[in-house]
Amino acid sequence: MAVTSGYLGSEKAHAEHHEEEHDPRESLMYDPLPRGVMNDMVMESMHTTSWKFWVVLGILAFLVATCFFYAWGYMIAKGLGVAGVMRPAYWGVFLVNTVFWIGISHAGTFISAILRVFKAEFRRPFTRAAELMTTFGLIQAGASIFMHLGRVWLAYWMFPIPNERQLWPNFHSPLMWDLLAITTYVLGSTMYLFLPLIPDLAMARDRSTGWRKTFYRILALGFRGTEGEWRHLTTAMNIFAFAIIPVMFSVHTIVSWDFAMAMRPGWSSTVFGPYFVLGALHSGMGAVAIVLVIMRATMKHMDYFIRKEHFDALGKLMMIVSFAYAYFFFNDYIVQWYGGDKWTDTLLHWLEEGPMAWMFYQMVAFNIVIPFLTLWNKRIRTTPWLLALIGLLINVGMYWERYIIVPVTLSINRMPFTWRLYEPRIEIFLTIGTFSMFLLFYMIASRLIPLIPVWEVQEGQMVHTLRKVGKAQVPTVSEFE
Amino acid sequence: MSNLSIDLNHVGAKGALAEEAEGKWGMVIDQDLCTGCQACVAACAMENNLPFVMEEDAAYGRTLHWIRIERFWEGEYPEVRTTPYQPMLCQQCGSAPCEPVCPVFASVHSQAQELNLQVYNRCIGTRYCANNCPYQVRTFNWRDYAIEPFHANDFEGQLVYPLHNQFNPDVTVRRRGVMEKCTFCIQRIHKAEDKAKSEGRDVEDGEFTTACAQACPTNAITFGLLDNPESLVNQLTKHQEHGYHHLEELNTQPRITYLKEG
Amino acid sequence: MSDTTLMALFEDIDPASEAIDKLHEMGVTDDRMNVISGVPVTHKMLGRPHPWTNVSRIALGGAVAGFFVGLFLNFGTPLLYNVSVGGQYITPIPPGLIIVFEMTMLFALLATFLGVFLDSFFPNYRPMEYVPEISDGKIGLFFKVPQDDQQKFADVMNEMGAESVQPTEARQL
Repeated sequence: MAVTSGYLGSEKAHAEHHEEEHDPRESLMYDPLPRGVMNDMVMESMHTTSWKFWVVLGILAFLVATCFFYAWGYMIAKGLGVAGVMRPAYWGVFLVNTVFWIGISHAGTFISAILRVFKAEFRRPFTRAAELMTTFGLIQAGASIFMHLGRVWLAYWMFPIPNERQLWPNFHSPLMWDLLAITTYVLGSTMYLFLPLIPDLAMARDRSTGWRKTFYRILALGFRGTEGEWRHLTTAMNIFAFAIIPVMFSVHTIVSWDFAMAMRPGWSSTVFGPYFVLGALHSGMGAVAIVLVIMRATMKHMDYFIRKEHFDALGKLMMIVSFAYAYFFFNDYIVQWYGGDKWTDTLLHWLEEGPMAWMFYQMVAFNIVIPFLTLWNKRIRTTPWLLALIGLLINVGMYWERYIIVPVTLSINRMPFTWRLYEPRIEIFLTIGTFSMFLLFYMIASRLIPLIPVWEVQEGQMVHTLRKVGKAQVPTVSEFE
Repeated sequence: MSNLSIDLNHVGAKGALAEEAEGKWGMVIDQDLCTGCQACVAACAMENNLPFVMEEDAAYGRTLHWIRIERFWEGEYPEVRTTPYQPMLCQQCGSAPCEPVCPVFASVHSQAQELNLQVYNRCIGTRYCANNCPYQVRTFNWRDYAIEPFHANDFEGQLVYPLHNQFNPDVTVRRRGVMEKCTFCIQRIHKAEDKAKSEGRDVEDGEFTTACAQACPTNAITFGLLDNPESLVNQLTKHQEHGYHHLEELNTQPRITYLKEG
Repeated sequence: MSDTTLMALFEDIDPASEAIDKLHEMGVTDDRMNVISGVPVTHKMLGRPHPWTNVSRIALGGAVAGFFVGLFLNFGTPLLYNVSVGGQYITPIPPGLIIVFEMTMLFALLATFLGVFLDSFFPNYRPMEYVPEISDGKIGLFFKVPQDDQQKFADVMNEMGAESVQPTEARQL
């Protein structure tokens, strides 16, 4: 990170910091444009595609066809033997992917729900982009969990529906809690994505022709913007915002309980609940940064909507979450380190000095050291590509963290005769497949769904004014509820 | 089938299980007698239709053996010794950690036999039970090993599997994607109990035994009724001071007592 | 004497709310008026009566339904088909709390979503009175007046600052 050396404590930086007065009109909320102009910009960003877009789309489609569908079909036909799971690591990269994608999806809910509840105005332009990440990430999480089943064609036996055998699933099992929680979360966040989307679909309907108009007309459900419709919509959005927050916390806690309920050294930890939730937010925020940077760089007019202040706020969030993550990580680690339980000790030694030690140290470096060293600096936060790079490193670190928690920790258990190292085989292809599918969905969505909630941006611009207090123009936010 | 009267001593609050930790069917394994010959492993494989997984998978930890002989080395060169051989199989825990975690009730507790059952037809292969077993005795059918072309002979263009002729008709052959584990030869248990019932008596001690106990040349494995005070298993369990349970601290209440350094 | 519906299009909230006041003075009652906008404008700002919504009640009903579904799943199904596992109580309470919570939230969210559809009569693909300028941020004031007084009302609205005043017709959205 050679970039930081010029900024750490140099006199020039201090001087500039004191000099620079943030002109509020640089902020999106204080730089309003007529709604019609903003609508035009959003519609244009959807219609404009360069040849590069189609090339990338084609590559992703090819990867999805081969690394997702073909590879998965092959695995279903041949059995899980083509994967890398074995005794003692019966769970491998599939579970790592599941936890990773659920983690990515948490950021969307955090931004669209928690920030809305706390009335953090900077969330306005990117709630939908984040919420789309949630929906698409959860699809990949669901795919990964189905991939790991030995007889996936019988997965419906987990659903609690009355059947002729009069059998019900086992609600003692954390996997059942998983099923219910993830179903709730997928449905909840998709509905929460759709509700604020309706007025923007209505706008798109009014400004489209041909097949697009039919598509938007059907999805917009006949929304006009009457007082009643707005009232129902905003009431529902408020209920969703408040209700989906506990759901979000419960989902990743329940996923963590898949591990914490098991009696394995390194897994049976009581701190896994909040540890996983914070880890999810950590990787999710990094992913949002990456997505926003790509959006800004590749889509037209996005630089009007997504500005430095959003990256600044996102960077601050990432920093706070990394503090909280470090706190829970250290909690988990020091309790195991201090304890003296023979098996946990062996596990910790193996993590720190064994064949996967490089992954352990990279994880600590990417998740904790790099955010700590960089995100306090405003200049780094407001440099989009740098924030995206930090986000990417955080995501790599979090992936390693889940890899360590699942297959690597499983290698050490209480029966030393069975200890063995896990090697991912077809899981590598399937992982590439899930990432490609996520990106593919996102790229298609970016051209079909208005990524910026324009009505929320206009609403925000209406509530922000510059008020004269004494000699200063003071940015003021009012409440329109 | 609804059973609203539940005997809390068999299944219920964890404290209540302590009295019944004894169990019905049990085993004693004398590690001093075990020579590590693996006859029990072979016998179990023959009795229970275990397929061969071939070298590559076996080296990667995918053997389908329901019982394994664990060998360890002690000491530094040149004073290296083996430890007593350790046959490890499903301990049929009274409070089995593999049972609550199966989402579809494929791993359940038999109240009649007081064993841990694996229902092959119900298993969808989440493998949580295998992760949760502290003894790591559960195995998974990673492929359709029984019908792998490797095992077959090509006879006039058709694949013929000679090993299928030795399958035990009392036991199913499992497809891929299903967990399995030692069942204490429940097919033999059922046969003996059926015979005893038709003759109007109880099962006698020594009337039948599991495949591994039958094959052991040194009689290191003893199988029988734990709750019958006159059975050999009961005597060995109760009256030996050097008996222990594996991973006793986990409170899984295993039904197998190991004897070592007697 | 038949009614027509006129629509006055306003750029901003202030002229719109004054126009509504003026219409009140001229005898147009609230139930003959409708305001359509591109962003939600509160009823207080426009001087309109408090709009009702059933969404919260429907959400609560959904939550109650979900609560009972959760209770049934965790405490009812094991009694229907008793399978014993691992020394745990047949109807365990801690997992029960999880199941009940998730089902309550699921049904509450589904009910909220459904409530929006029911209350707004979505999906509604019939021809409705609408102009596309509204999604450009304008505020449309729809009001019913006797046909003969059309011109009078139109003039008043133009005085109040309307961008345009025209009779509306139901059109395919």
